[in-house]
Amino acid sequence: MNSYHKNILVVEDDPQIRNFICYSLKQAEFRYITAHTAQDALSHLISEQIDIMLLDLGLPDFDGMDVIKKVREWSDLPIIVVSARDQDSEKAAALDLGADDYLTKPFSATELMARIRVAVRHLHMHGKENQQGALTVGGLTIEMDKHLVYLHNKELHVTPMEYSLLSLLFKNIGKVLTTSAILKEIWGVGYGNDTQALRALMAGLRRKIEKNPAKPRYIITEIGVGYRLVDE
Amino acid sequence: MNRRDKARMVVQPLLVVGLLSISSGIGYAFHFSEFPETNIVITYLLAVHMIAWLTEGFLWGLLSSVIATFLFNFFFTEPYLTFSVNDPSYIITFFIMTVVALITSTIASHAQKSALDARQKETETKAVYNLTNHLTDASNINDIVGFTVGEISTCFGCRAACLCFDENGNSERFFIQQQTESRQVRREIENPEEIKRRMEQLKTGYEIGSEFYDWPIYGYEKMLGMIRIPIKTAQTMSAAQTRLLRSMIESVALAMDRLRASELHNRSREETVQERYRANLLRAISHDLRTPLSGIMGTSEMIMDMSTQTDPRYDLASAIHKDADWLHSLVENILSLTRLQEGKLILNKQPEAVEEVLAGAIERISKQWPEYEIDVSMPDELLMIPMDAKLIRQVLINLLDNAIKHTLPDGDIHISVEKDENSHFAVFKITDSGSGISQEDLPHLFQMFYTSRTQIADAKHGIGLGLTICDAIIKAHGGTIEAKNRNDRTGAEFTFTLPMEVQMYEQLS
Repeated sequence: MNSYHKNILVVEDDPQIRNFICYSLKQAEFRYITAHTAQDALSHLISEQIDIMLLDLGLPDFDGMDVIKKVREWSDLPIIVVSARDQDSEKAAALDLGADDYLTKPFSATELMARIRVAVRHLHMHGKENQQGALTVGGLTIEMDKHLVYLHNKELHVTPMEYSLLSLLFKNIGKVLTTSAILKEIWGVGYGNDTQALRALMAGLRRKIEKNPAKPRYIITEIGVGYRLVDE
Repeated sequence: MNRRDKARMVVQPLLVVGLLSISSGIGYAFHFSEFPETNIVITYLLAVHMIAWLTEGFLWGLLSSVIATFLFNFFFTEPYLTFSVNDPSYIITFFIMTVVALITSTIASHAQKSALDARQKETETKAVYNLTNHLTDASNINDIVGFTVGEISTCFGCRAACLCFDENGNSERFFIQQQTESRQVRREIENPEEIKRRMEQLKTGYEIGSEFYDWPIYGYEKMLGMIRIPIKTAQTMSAAQTRLLRSMIESVALAMDRLRASELHNRSREETVQERYRANLLRAISHDLRTPLSGIMGTSEMIMDMSTQTDPRYDLASAIHKDADWLHSLVENILSLTRLQEGKLILNKQPEAVEEVLAGAIERISKQWPEYEIDVSMPDELLMIPMDAKLIRQVLINLLDNAIKHTLPDGDIHISVEKDENSHFAVFKITDSGSGISQEDLPHLFQMFYTSRTQIADAKHGIGLGLTICDAIIKAHGGTIEAKNRNDRTGAEFTFTLPMEVQMYEQLS
């Protein structure tokens, strides 16, 4: 994958962290621009071609949440939140506002790069979103147009609910989906809080696709936040 | 019977005798002056009217009506000084005189009684008003008790007292009694439980003790206290006074209830504010520690990346990274511990899938220690247990971390979850194949800041907080945690349990 063409906006006010993020990006041959404030970030977003944004929530002028809100008004570029805030509610709020991923400080460069690569792949998939073809992760394949799921090339029987859950995760591959977002998509508005039903549905699906649900290969739980379909 | 009643019993007959004697005297004067007898009759009627007006009740009025007629008969009709009469027409005079006297005395008594009633009502209203007025201004329970005791004492002319019950309905140790008009004293009670028990069993309106009659103050939900009236006063209280006391107690109950409610409201508001303040502080600390740690870890990672593994700088950077990482887990643990040790931790408890929490812990550990393989066994069916998932994950991470630190990479580390159907507990077991726990460490494992003495060189990596936190978290969930050495081979085995259902009580450490 040619990452060199991707331009990444790093919004971070702490110089140490900014340095090390930039170093890691440079090592991986990304181009990047830095911004120290929310104002700065917004003007960069308007004037330049940005592919991915890394966003710290605690900025000196505005809260990062407001930045997400603003950006989502006109753009759907991938936003990876990098924050020292570790409250589940804040993670969920950022994700529900439209952030694609959330990384809690302190994090390792490897972790960050993995998340950025997921976002890049997303960019490539972008535009083919309505594609009705087959999507594959490891041994797991879903055929959207035929409503079929294959595990290691063998057809896997799933219930309609399990299918909608899996296809939702596939459509947002690599991205954390909050519990409330999944509930809204699958059960519809009004079932907002029945997380138990989702847990049970997820347990059923995992028993079909995972060898060991305690060491999941495909669907990872972000405790207190939501679920993510692993993308590699 | 009190002194006032006795006095009345003496004064009233004297009044009757006196007034009737005076009117008899005036009658004699009229008789000798040869005024018509009508004047004498009128004089007697006046005396009867006055007697009815000045005495209480109907008795004396009625009695004096009859006596007046007989006196008239005795002194002023022929033959004099006998109860016989020569002229039969006097019978009519006697009859009419008696009837008129009776009617007059009844009317007078009625009027007197209504006046008395009105006066009493006024006193009652005034007393209750005074009390209520003061109670509205009261800002604490002592004010209420003070006003109440003072007002009741004044109203009933006694040394009344008041005993409060606390919020749990238990009696307090002291009651307040009016000593003199301007002085109140605290007196200790001998047996609060006994008083409470007696009050709870109360069927009548009051309880008769050796020194006091105790009138309970019933609040909206429970008994708030009692008013104690000295036995002598209580025995002579009229129905009207009892009624007055009841309505005063009712006002007191209302005031106490109002105060309790506002106290409760204030306290919960204060707690909310404190809770928010504490949460903000913890969040700020956590945030401010994470930011520099992130810089240190990231930068050391960067240096490691820049240097080859044979470069001594690589080792230095790696050591910095390890230490920062250790600091990070210490910070996490201290934060959880502060949350727990406040004793007020509100567990964010909801049914969680055990497999998800296990996976969360294993994922974290595997990232940190990729060279270790962790073996998992758990029931096939979905196991949902009410818990605070983040805290239980922290327990699992601490225990797994501990296991890894005592085991070589090729050794086996096993984690298992089982359901104990009998006790309705889920049993988590983490075993390692390390050197095990020394006998002298075993009793102190879960104590705060205890690090093994047998491993001084490596003491830092015992953290010393990890297991304390596990202990606190599990206890807060109503479970148990214990450590022992494996029977089958060397190695340690940590077991903790979590109740499968939400328990009514939360045991806080």
